[in-house]
Amino acid sequence: MNDEAQRKIDAYLGGVRDGLRGLSASDIEDILAELRAHITEKAGLCGTISATTVDSTLASLGDAGQLASEYATDALLARAEVTRSPLRLLESLFRWASLSLAGFVVLLGSVSGYVLAGAFLLAAVLKPLHPEAAGLWVSREGTGDLSFSLHMGFGSAPAGGEREILGWWILPLGLLAGCGLAVLTTRIALWCARYYRQSRSLPRSQSNQ
Amino acid sequence: MRKFHRDDLQSTDGWEVQLRKGCLELAILASLMEGKRYGLEILRRLESDSDLVVSEGTVYPLLSRLKNLGLVESEWVESEAGHPRKYYRLTGEGLRRTQQMAAMWRRFSTSMSRLLARVEEGGASDER
Repeated sequence: MNDEAQRKIDAYLGGVRDGLRGLSASDIEDILAELRAHITEKAGLCGTISATTVDSTLASLGDAGQLASEYATDALLARAEVTRSPLRLLESLFRWASLSLAGFVVLLGSVSGYVLAGAFLLAAVLKPLHPEAAGLWVSREGTGDLSFSLHMGFGSAPAGGEREILGWWILPLGLLAGCGLAVLTTRIALWCARYYRQSRSLPRSQSNQ
Repeated sequence: MRKFHRDDLQSTDGWEVQLRKGCLELAILASLMEGKRYGLEILRRLESDSDLVVSEGTVYPLLSRLKNLGLVESEWVESEAGHPRKYYRLTGEGLRRTQQMAAMWRRFSTSMSRLLARVEEGGASDER
C-alpha cells in the first residue's frame, strides 16, 4: 500500500472517529478496526492497494460522517432503550439531538416533561416546610381569565389576589403527578427512540445508490 | 380516469426501496444460518444469492445493530489475508428470530402471490 492510499484510509477513519464521540473507547476501536479491515481487503481485491482502489472502496462505504451517525445513533438509542434512568436516557437523547432533528424534538419534549415532573415533586416536598408558600394557586386576572401557578415555596407566599386550591392535597397529588409524569416522559422518550431506531435501521438499497 | 403522473413512478420507486429495506435484516440473518461470516462475505452472499445489492455503508451499522439487539455475536479471527477479520454468528435468540421471520415471510409471500395472481389475470383479461 502506498502512502497516499494509507493517508486516504486514515483521513476517512478519522472522520468516522469524530462522528462516534459518545460511544465507549472500546466500541470505537472495534468499529474502526472492522472498517479498516474491510477497506484493506476490498481495495486489495485486484492485487495491490492503490489510491484509486481505496477511493472506490470509500465511495462504496459512503460519507464518513453519515456512516458514523448510523453507528452512533443506533448504539446510543440501544443504550437508551435498556435504561430506565432519566439521567442516562437524557444523556443518550442529548447525543441523538446532536445528530438529528427528531432527536432534538424528543429531547425538548423530554426535558419539558422532566422539569414539570420535578416542579410537582418539589412543590409536594416543600409543602410541609413552607405550607404558606408551596402549592397550586389560582388567580383571576383583570381580563377574567383564570391563571394557575405552581409555587415551590422558596420565596414569599403569593399575593392576596391568588387562592390556593389544593391545600395539603398538593402533597400526595404532587408526588403522584411528579412520579407519573416522570414515568410517562421516560416511556414516551423510549418509545420514540425505539420507533426511530426501527424506522431507520435498514437504509439504502441498490435502487437509490 | 386519473392521469398517470411522474409522482406515481417515484412513489413506486420509494415503495421498492422500503420493500428492500424490510427484507435486508432477514437477508443478513439468513446469510448467517450456515455459520459465521465476516462483513465482506455477507455482502458477497447477498449479492450472489439475492437481488439485495446493498451499499457497504449500510451493512456494517446494521450488523452492529443486530449485535446490540443480541441477535448476533462477533469475534475477531486472524486470517491469511494479513489482518484479522470480525466474524459474526447467530445467537440462540438470533436463530429463533430468523426462523420466526422466515415463517412469517413465507406466509406473507404465499398470500400475496395468491392475491397478485388475480391482479395478473385481471391485467391479461383487460389486454384481451
